[in-house]
Amino acid sequence: MTKYNIWFFSSLFIALIVSLPIITVFFSFFNETSNYFTLLKSTFLLDYIFNSMIILFFVILVTFILGVLSAYFVSFYEFPFSNFFSWTLILAFAVPGYIYAFSLIAFFENYGTAFSILTYLFGENNYNPIIPKIDGIVGAILAISFSLFPYVYVLTRASFHYQSNNYIEVGKNLGLSTKESFFKIILPSARPAIIAGLALVSMECLSDFGTVSFFSVNTLTTGIYNSWLSFDDLNTANQISFILLLFILLLFSIEIYSRKDARYHQPGRGFKPIIKIKLKGKKSIIPITVCSLILFLSFLFPVSQMIYWTIKFPKYLHDINILNININTLILVLLASASIVIVSLFINYGSRISKSKILNYLTNFLISGYAIPGVILAVAFITFFSNLSDLASYNLNFKSTKGIFIGSILGLILAYFIRFFSLSFNGIKSSYEKINNSIDESAYLLGYSKIKTFLKIHIPYLKTNIILIMLLISLEVIKELPITLILRPFNFETFATQAYIYASQDLLEAAALPSLFLIFWSTVLILLSSRYILSKKN
Amino acid sequence: MFISYLILIAFTSSLLANEVNIFSARHYDSDVQLYEKFTAKTGIKVNVVSGKSGALEKRIIEEGADSKADLYITADAGRLGAFEANLQGGLTSPAIKSVVPSNFRTSKWTGIAKRARIIYFAPERVSGSELSGLTYESLADPKWKGRLVIRASNNIYNQSLVASLIKNNGKGKVAEWSKGVVSNMARSPKGNDRAQILAVAAGEADIAVANTYYLALMLSGKKGSEQQAAAKKVKPFFPNQDGRGTHMNISGAGLVKGAPNKANAIKLVEFLLSEEAQNHIVNNTFEYPMIKSVSPHPLVVNMGLDFKQDLKTKVVNYGKRQADALEVMTAAGWK
Repeated sequence: MTKYNIWFFSSLFIALIVSLPIITVFFSFFNETSNYFTLLKSTFLLDYIFNSMIILFFVILVTFILGVLSAYFVSFYEFPFSNFFSWTLILAFAVPGYIYAFSLIAFFENYGTAFSILTYLFGENNYNPIIPKIDGIVGAILAISFSLFPYVYVLTRASFHYQSNNYIEVGKNLGLSTKESFFKIILPSARPAIIAGLALVSMECLSDFGTVSFFSVNTLTTGIYNSWLSFDDLNTANQISFILLLFILLLFSIEIYSRKDARYHQPGRGFKPIIKIKLKGKKSIIPITVCSLILFLSFLFPVSQMIYWTIKFPKYLHDINILNININTLILVLLASASIVIVSLFINYGSRISKSKILNYLTNFLISGYAIPGVILAVAFITFFSNLSDLASYNLNFKSTKGIFIGSILGLILAYFIRFFSLSFNGIKSSYEKINNSIDESAYLLGYSKIKTFLKIHIPYLKTNIILIMLLISLEVIKELPITLILRPFNFETFATQAYIYASQDLLEAAALPSLFLIFWSTVLILLSSRYILSKKN
Repeated sequence: MFISYLILIAFTSSLLANEVNIFSARHYDSDVQLYEKFTAKTGIKVNVVSGKSGALEKRIIEEGADSKADLYITADAGRLGAFEANLQGGLTSPAIKSVVPSNFRTSKWTGIAKRARIIYFAPERVSGSELSGLTYESLADPKWKGRLVIRASNNIYNQSLVASLIKNNGKGKVAEWSKGVVSNMARSPKGNDRAQILAVAAGEADIAVANTYYLALMLSGKKGSEQQAAAKKVKPFFPNQDGRGTHMNISGAGLVKGAPNKANAIKLVEFLLSEEAQNHIVNNTFEYPMIKSVSPHPLVVNMGLDFKQDLKTKVVNYGKRQADALEVMTAAGWK
């Protein structure tokens, strides 16, 4: 029997808010679009889908190789610096794809950094023809892959960590070579984790906006943006969104499904931790080379390009109001992470004490926000609130409310809320489920009130997890581009928007400083959270 | 609690009186310095949302009557023209009319600075006889096969250039012309205007189409010594000198419909057209001044000032013919 109490209605309310973009997109799917560009659009649409799929395919391939290979080396072998690599390889998360893209162009363009290096080393000459031009689709694939491969790395590494040494021993007894046991035993048993990682990569890849738009590659996301902007056609934008959402929801189900599968690979009885094989001398050359190369390409390369620029063009050090941007970022990070975590605690607690099935189904809706690309979310957000306000002022003579939600901090936080709520809700849910219900019962028997149980028993237990989630949300907010770009208020920049705007104005060298700050804060957050990420079972 | 606080902020900020709100697709730091000068002079606070023009336009449209936007500032007449339905008349005060030639303004928007879209060539590989009498029209000539670089068709500068060609030659002819240009391209279009000039310097192509201020920017050393050296390897050429003149475009400001601070907006535009502001603009962005009494940056002067500007084709046509321009380029396979 479901009780229609405060928990039910507040969960319903939050679920509605989070699903606003999906609902908006879904309803406008059936609206008519303008005929004028029908032909043009139909040719473009195929182009968009084709490009999205090509990028997706190669990003999956590259992140698979990078992620699995590096996870394999640091999990099964001990070689010089293997511990160092095991945590520095996650730092690639600190460099968003669009910033990686800036570095690629800066380095490889005619008379770019590569040209300067060659001139410095070998004297003046026209090196431009021999420098490969990495841009367009190839550039997008590389930039997205290097910024996303840590998903595969982290999940695969966790799965390797909990693989029992027994299997490997059985393999050895059966006479399998190292290569055979990798392909026949290690890889298959880590499959669910790898697939989960790749599904996350694919979702992020399909929703990427900054990178592909910087390289002028037309994909489904830039298609949404363009048809909204150039063709003045919100309905087409929403229809392309719908196609994109179908893809992403498919990936989302794959991810959830493989995670369920992954649970069967948790350590059971007879679990033996992996005995790392020690590699010395010549044998350690390959893993060291591979790991250093990945670390260099994914993190050190973009960071050094940005540092080089900041030094080479010091003018921008005092032109850019960095203090202001730091404060803006701090405000967004604090408001977003606090509100998201508080509400997810509230909803989780409600669903725990009311034990309602409907509530459980309802909370499943809450995850939808994360599956929606930021561009779609921002477009749908504006559509929804401007329609709502028009409706209210037309029918009820309300004063317009657009200013409250569009172009305000409140609107921005609300959009972040929709986007990142599932991250926090599910994180807290998974550790809440580990607190046995009998603990609550005992607390009540001891005379604890519900609130006291929550504050004195649940919160201390959930504390580390709450900190981790706040760190992760902060990381996402700092790196977030399209929502902030479209919804931000007057005189308000974040590192991401400042860097992107300079870059789109052909001032890549000015984009270096905000990019560096973005990477710096992200790195701090990653280092703070890495001990949780690397030790967490999921 | 903090939510109600934020709502309060949202309301009170809209009640503050002495300000002007700009949606700007031009976000040079030098513009910000100008706004600061304006505030110091008049006490009027300048609020800016910067972004890509398309997104800014959409936000103004969606916010509708509630938009706080007073001025929309962008770097192409085609953009202002295409956005006319959301702009209002009454911007061009007598002071503005007296300094801006009628070719570069309507009642809703006005140019603030000028630029020309010209040809750059590599003197080592392009002879004087090849260049003589060169027009935009003749870029489709097969003699340029595999030698031309120009950026993508989604770029507004190209859309405006092609729109002006359509206005002068008709859509049918320009559709053929687009095909010729595409078959002459040395590479599939990529990168910005500066990248096209660098491609000529690097030997990837012999001629490029790009705006005037990019070369001066590189020559100034602001983009580093490598690009400064590269820029010296290319020369500018002003096309269509025997006919209507070289294609001109503007950076401009438009008065947004329902602007809450209309009077302040006009004041700001008048300030931007003052000698002081114009000097500041030309020395930082390397554009041509809008008003006669100011001279361009010396590097721009060196590129040549006595060329014939196309003053016959009103820039208002760039917006009107934009859809046609995009259509012919797309049909020709211009990426």
